[in-house]
Amino acid sequence: MAARVLQQCVRTLARPSLRLSAANLAAPSAAPSAAPHRPVSFAADSRRTRWLGLSPVPSVGVLCRQYSDLPPLTLETIKDRVLYVLKLYDKINPENLQTTSHFMKDLGLDSLDQVEIIMAMEDEFGFEIPDGEAEKLMTPEEIVQYIADKKDVYE
Amino acid sequence: MAASVRAQVISLYRALLAESKSFPSYNYRTYAVRRVRDAFRANRKVKDPQAVERLMVEGQQTLALIQRQVSIGKMYETQKNVVED
Repeated sequence: MAARVLQQCVRTLARPSLRLSAANLAAPSAAPSAAPHRPVSFAADSRRTRWLGLSPVPSVGVLCRQYSDLPPLTLETIKDRVLYVLKLYDKINPENLQTTSHFMKDLGLDSLDQVEIIMAMEDEFGFEIPDGEAEKLMTPEEIVQYIADKKDVYE
Repeated sequence: MAASVRAQVISLYRALLAESKSFPSYNYRTYAVRRVRDAFRANRKVKDPQAVERLMVEGQQTLALIQRQVSIGKMYETQKNVVED
């Protein structure tokens, strides 16, 4: 009985989108099912709380971090994330992609595609890029520089 | 004059895409994003100023429609779909 409860806890914790608060909600819902077995429930409780504290961190990394702030940005990580998002875009050939490749001249995209790319960057980094500045960003290098300027990353 | 029309089209495209992404329902959201992209791409080559004007008006009405439907959708949210992450 306790083993089944623990298995259920592990399964809910292993799901990548689960937050720590939701994991805490899973504990009281699992508690009533363990209530009939008095001697086992205390051991189950201590094991459950220990697992709640430890297991999210190695498996999920950033999503279940216990602090409230994001990891600090560096030029390297910004560049990696920008290139990653660009590689996911289906109109870009990943082999041609360099940090200096111009969207319109080298990669053959048009202004509508550039708008979509900038919106994907807004979603990735979580802040708004206004229209006037967005239409000037034509290479991945310029995007990295713009984000570094806005986020005060040391150059 | 053409430059400002182009800028208006670009900002309308951004507004439509941003608004479409805020649909709570997976089906409406994916359809709206896809439809907006396809409509703008299909009308890329239009040069006649009156046709462009008519399309812009239609685009703004669509933007208002999407805004209304997004707020209605947020009032009556359901569970997330299985295919969503």
